[in-house]
Amino acid sequence: MNPDDHRPLRLDRVESPLSRELKDLFGIDVDTCLECGKCSGGCSNGHIFDYTPRKIVQLVKLGAEETLMRMDALWICLSCQLCFDRCPSGIDIPRILDHLREGARLRGIPATRPAVGRFHELMLEQIRKAGRVSEVALMLRFKAATGEYGKDTGIAVKLFFKGKLNPFSPGIRGVDEVRRLYDHRPTDEKA
Amino acid sequence: MEAALRIAQAGFHSVLVEKEAELGGTLRSLHSSFPRWQDPRELIDHQSERLAKSRRVTIRTQSAVTSSLPKEKGFRVSLTSLRNGDTEELDVDAVVLATGFEPMDVSVYGEYGYGIYPGVTTSLEFEGQLRKWALSTGDITTEIPQAVALIQCVGSRDRSKGNPYCSKICCMFTAKQAGLIMDLFPDARVYVFYMDYRAAGKQYEEFVRQVIEEKHVRYVRGRPAKVLPENGRLLVRAEDTLMGIPVEVAVDIVVLASALVPHPATRLLAEMFGARTDEYGFLEGEPHEPARTADRVFFAGGCGFAVESAAALDQGASAAANVIALFNEDR
Repeated sequence: MNPDDHRPLRLDRVESPLSRELKDLFGIDVDTCLECGKCSGGCSNGHIFDYTPRKIVQLVKLGAEETLMRMDALWICLSCQLCFDRCPSGIDIPRILDHLREGARLRGIPATRPAVGRFHELMLEQIRKAGRVSEVALMLRFKAATGEYGKDTGIAVKLFFKGKLNPFSPGIRGVDEVRRLYDHRPTDEKA
Repeated sequence: MEAALRIAQAGFHSVLVEKEAELGGTLRSLHSSFPRWQDPRELIDHQSERLAKSRRVTIRTQSAVTSSLPKEKGFRVSLTSLRNGDTEELDVDAVVLATGFEPMDVSVYGEYGYGIYPGVTTSLEFEGQLRKWALSTGDITTEIPQAVALIQCVGSRDRSKGNPYCSKICCMFTAKQAGLIMDLFPDARVYVFYMDYRAAGKQYEEFVRQVIEEKHVRYVRGRPAKVLPENGRLLVRAEDTLMGIPVEVAVDIVVLASALVPHPATRLLAEMFGARTDEYGFLEGEPHEPARTADRVFFAGGCGFAVESAAALDQGASAAANVIALFNEDR
C-alpha cells in the first residue's frame, strides 16, 4: 500500500478516487466505518484472509487500489454477505469486492488463486451463453480445466440428493438481454 | 456564576469572587461549543445579565480569597483586591469553590516540540486562533493552513509524563476544532490522531460522526510519536494502528489536546477551607454527597474534574441546592 520503500506512508499524499467511485456508483460511504471489526470477527474466511474486511475498508480509505486488486482475500471471499449483514454502518463490503474483482479483470491483474479466477471466467462465459448458471455443466467444465476430477465428489453426491444439483439445465427466455449486461460496465462509463 | 445566581434566587446573599477582570473562566476563551456549535459567550452573557439584575449577588472581580478562619457555622474570609491590594473581611455561612481547571504544560513532551516549533500549539491557544480567523473581516489568505494535525491525549492516559486519567472532554473539543477548520477552510486537510474517541453524552457520538462523515476530517488511529520540521512545515509521525503501518503527514499546524489538570488556586483554597482533594489535586466529594468537599464547603465545575460547560452548569446548580438546603436547616 506504500509506494515508497524508504519512508512511512505519506498520508498527505493519499488520494482515494476509489472512495469517491464507491460513493458515486453504489452509495457506499467508507467514512461511516466505525472500525469496530465486527465484519472481520464474523467473516467466513477471515482467518485465511491476507486483509480482513475491516482492513479492506481501511485500504479503500488509504486509496490502496493496487494492494486491493492484488490481495488474496479478493479471491477467497465467499461473498456470503455476513460482513455486510452485520455491519453497524451498513457498509456493503461484498459489493466493494465485486467492484475490485471487476477492476482487477479490466486491468488484467491475475487472480492470486488461478483456479478461482478460472472458475469466475467459466461461470461468466456460461451465463453469457445460456443466460444462467448450470451447476453440473459448470462443475464438469471446471474439473476439465483444473484436471482435479476426484475433488469434492463426495459433496457433489450430497448436493445431488438434496436437490441442489440439477443435471438438466433449462435455458431462459431473453438471453439477449443478459448478454447485453456484459456490455454495461460502470467503470468504463466513468472513464 | 450559576451557584451564586441560584443561591440569590432562593433569597440568600452571595459574593462572587473572581480572580480575572471578567467572569466566565476558560469558557471565555472558547470560540464554539459542542454538540451544538454555539458561541460560548452567549451562555456567559446570559448568566452575566441575570447576575447583574440580581440584587443579592455581589461581584468582586480581580479579587482573591487570601485567608479564612473557621467559625462555629462558616468562615471569616479575607478578600484581597488584585488591583490595589485592598483587603476586606467577610463572614460567610458557606463556601462554593469553582476554580476550574487548566491545561497541562505540554512542553514536557520534547517529541512534540511545543515551545520549539512555532506551528505547534495547544488546543486552548488554537481556540483563540479559530476565533480570530472566524471574526476576521480582512484578508487572511496569507495564513490559511493547507493541513492541520490535532493530537489527542497529550498528557492524558499517560502514566509516564502525564496523568493516568482520561481528561474526558478533549475528544469532543478536538472534533469541534477539526470541524471548525473545515468550515473555515474547506480545502484544508485535517487529521485527528486518536486512540479511541470518547463521545459519551447526548448528541456527542452524532457530533463526532458529523465531523468525520460530513465535514470530512480524517481520523487516524494512533498516538503520534514525533513531530519534526520538514521544509518549513511539520511532519507528524505515527502508526496507523488499524493497518499496523507507520505513517507520516506534513502539516502547517499541530494542535496538542493538553490534559486538563487542577488550577493551582484549587490547592490553595482546598488547604484554606479543609477541602478534600484526590491524588491529582482535584476536589473530592463525599461518598453520598458529590458536591460537598468539607463542612459547609461545596464545589462545582472544573476544580472537581474536567467538565464541559453544560455539566459545570449542572454542578453549579447542585452546589447551590446544597447551600440552600443547609441554610434552611440552620434556621
